[in-house]
Amino acid sequence: MIAALLGIFGLSLLLAMILGRTHARIWLGLSAIASLSGLYAALITLITTETWIWRGGIVLGGETPFLRLDGISALFLVLVCLVGGLGALYAHEYWSGHHHPRSAPGGRCWWSTLVLSMGLVLTCANGLHFLFAWEAFALSAYFLITLDHDRKDARKAGWLYLAASHAGTMALLAFFSALAARTGTWELGPVHAQAGLAPLFWLALFGFGVKAGMFPLHIWLPSAHAGAPSHVSAIMSAVAIKMGVYGIVRFSGWLPMPGSSGWVLLGIGCLSALLGIAFALAQNDIKRLLAYCSVENVGIILIGLGLSVLAVQHGQPIWGKAALAGTFLHVINHGLFKSLLFFGAGSVLHATGTRDMSRLGGLWKVMPWTAALFAVGAMAVSGLPPLNGFVGEWAIYQGLLRAVAQKGPAAGVLPAVIVLAGAGALALAAFAKAVGIVFLGAPRNKPAAHAVECGWIMRAPMVLLAMIMIAIGLLPGLFFRPIMGAVAVWAPQWAMADPLLATRTLGGAHTILICALIAGGFLMLRKIQGAGTRTGPTWDCGYAAPTAHMQYTSGSFAGIARGWFAWLLRPEIMIRRVRGHFPGTALILERVPETVLEKAVMPGAAAVSFVADGARKMQHGRLHLYILYVFLGVTALGVMVLLGGM
Amino acid sequence: MPLYMDIPLRLLFWLLLAPLLPGVINKVKAWVAGRQGPPVLQLYYDLARLWRKGVVVSTLASPGFIIAPAVAWTAVVTAALLLPLAGTGTAFSFDGDVLLLVYLLALARFCTAWGAMETGSAFEGMGAAREVSFAVLAEIGIITAILTLVVQSGSIALSSMFEPLFGPGAALLAVGLFIILLAENCRVPFDDPNTHLELTMIHEVMVLDHSGPPLAMILHGASVKLLLFAVFLAQAVLPLSELPLLASVAALLVSVLLITVAVGLVESLTARLAFRRVPLLLTIGFLFCLFPLLLTWMGDL
Repeated sequence: MIAALLGIFGLSLLLAMILGRTHARIWLGLSAIASLSGLYAALITLITTETWIWRGGIVLGGETPFLRLDGISALFLVLVCLVGGLGALYAHEYWSGHHHPRSAPGGRCWWSTLVLSMGLVLTCANGLHFLFAWEAFALSAYFLITLDHDRKDARKAGWLYLAASHAGTMALLAFFSALAARTGTWELGPVHAQAGLAPLFWLALFGFGVKAGMFPLHIWLPSAHAGAPSHVSAIMSAVAIKMGVYGIVRFSGWLPMPGSSGWVLLGIGCLSALLGIAFALAQNDIKRLLAYCSVENVGIILIGLGLSVLAVQHGQPIWGKAALAGTFLHVINHGLFKSLLFFGAGSVLHATGTRDMSRLGGLWKVMPWTAALFAVGAMAVSGLPPLNGFVGEWAIYQGLLRAVAQKGPAAGVLPAVIVLAGAGALALAAFAKAVGIVFLGAPRNKPAAHAVECGWIMRAPMVLLAMIMIAIGLLPGLFFRPIMGAVAVWAPQWAMADPLLATRTLGGAHTILICALIAGGFLMLRKIQGAGTRTGPTWDCGYAAPTAHMQYTSGSFAGIARGWFAWLLRPEIMIRRVRGHFPGTALILERVPETVLEKAVMPGAAAVSFVADGARKMQHGRLHLYILYVFLGVTALGVMVLLGGM
Repeated sequence: MPLYMDIPLRLLFWLLLAPLLPGVINKVKAWVAGRQGPPVLQLYYDLARLWRKGVVVSTLASPGFIIAPAVAWTAVVTAALLLPLAGTGTAFSFDGDVLLLVYLLALARFCTAWGAMETGSAFEGMGAAREVSFAVLAEIGIITAILTLVVQSGSIALSSMFEPLFGPGAALLAVGLFIILLAENCRVPFDDPNTHLELTMIHEVMVLDHSGPPLAMILHGASVKLLLFAVFLAQAVLPLSELPLLASVAALLVSVLLITVAVGLVESLTARLAFRRVPLLLTIGFLFCLFPLLLTWMGDL
């Protein structure tokens, strides 16, 4: 059954790659078939918790293909299929052949390649083929990011992505080769028995961490997500970086873990969560804000995973299971709300032509659907009840709090709880800003005032995502059950432990809450209608003629919290003040650079190329000088030998 | 007590008692200043009057402007219902409900900021920015206080979490929670609820454009939030659940009254802080919550 479904998944995507160039509708249909069959296969695997294995009879690159679909792969496959399918639908309108005749055919082809190669990454259980699939995935993502290659920022972002991605791949190449050399086989699987393999985890953490966008390896992520077309941003942020998370999750379950790995994961998670959201808050570009927010969410996932590793090391299945279930749910949750938010941002970009929040405003009037759906996504990403974001964070928090309550050696996770709370509150600030500046208030310029709502094809994926998110909030128990299947794969020794998550009670509380919220809002509207409403200009403590330009901007909204992180963010502010008797236009420009890239990586790279430039002068093509080098070298060696002999 | 009686009774406690607190604070302030001051029940009269009034809505505002106060009020009241009340325990408890409480307050904050951004006024945008920014530090403080209770009691459910500390730990935690109470409820020295100056406002500035029933809900919700923090503070440092039922309820009421009087005294005797100092004072509040955490943790090791 699963073989057939995965076969359909692969074949229809292959067909879509070939036919996608010319036949947009057939491509859409094939993408839908692939998504549904892949989703079905993943759900069967998650519910039955049976591992599907397939060995090919042929030899590919010296190895026989070996595919495996178990709980963890299936969990990530759900995301690949869901966002792969919905993104294809969204792209059908957003990046249609009508508007982008040159890049749309390539976009369709690479989209299918990306989805297929991500599916292969998840199912390949042979290290060699895994690397091939990984590279195909990395390259197709590159072509999607640079889809709009007339734009310089897209080309630059693509190059940076490619460079960072290959730095990671290099580590992975070393990792898989070392693993194969030590175990004697390319086939991947649990290798707990060989304790000597533990240090290899650091290689895997680096290699997959670059793709996952954990701090400070996230340098490629903001520009790639902001510069790409929005449906590409959605799949990159919601799914592609999860392939990195998948790698870390997978090998933290399979490898013998170094003693400090749990704490390191927890530490990197805290760093990513706090600094990622601090960067997000300071952005003025809505898609960069969303991209940095992905760094934060990867941080939250790593906090949960680090705690689970600690739980294994301390033999504590109860809170380990809660933390891991929360981690897995957060992987899904982030995929859902981040793709919804990027779709929403794409809809705004489509309608107004700008990503700069300080040029938008008041969009709810012209784009009520986008505004409402984006608001649902913003509330979910801020972890507000009764939506899905809260459920995932709640489970991770429970793992952390239980570890603290137990007062064992793992109670050192205390700082992680405080960091998580701080990151949550900063996320709320960042998304109150995003929603408030973009959709509320008055439009700040003409395109924002005359924008038009996106069509139903773009709206449908967003509505579906929002519905799933609300469903997870209301029925957490239902969604935790398949996730426990994935948890059982990661840590089979925990099979008997019940994590005591009060999911049904939480679901009940959420249901009551959502009823109360709806009833409260509805009663208030009724009350207002009865009471007689007058409309007028904003009173604002008596300003006579408020204009749209007087509104709080995105930069001023983030000002306070940006000040706290100024030591890291190093915001650049350019002010042209009002001067003289006939002053010109006053101006204030704010920009928050990608500090890690511009202040650390770039100077490092410049230093390397400075040294390399110096060394190049020694290679000038004059033979007699080369002979002199050899002579000097031999003499130096001779002197060393003589001195060593004495 | 059966659930169908318990919840309405609690609801009555929270809804009816809450508006008394601002009245007490104002009376204390008037008493310190040597004035007669408004009646203690003034907020009840205000709410009743506002509820009957019509509404003026900004032309820029979406229906969210009306709905947001209702959602925020519901979230705060639901959060309050999660709290146990002295010896009567809690109506509805499950592991991790303390997180629901914290995040329901966050939901209320999100909605208030939303309502403020609706009007497109720089003034109200400023209030929203201040509210969500300072709340970061306040939330860190609250979660630290909760961690202290978790370490102390070994439980992560509100119903069994309030096992008070003794000695210096309790005193430190009380001070820390009191500072956070002042910040979260927009009281002097963080915010001055009585003025309409740009320099002095956080919360009040966000609700400038609200009127009629939505404003009533905002005012009532604010008073419920104040009561919630006072009840939390009292139970975190006093062993109320160990007393007999009536005594514990009486002790809770008396301690809430004392906290309210203390708020009034602070408002009368201190000046508002400059805004750049607010994060400093909040950090001090966080530290006052952190030390008892370290004390309890070290005590257990």
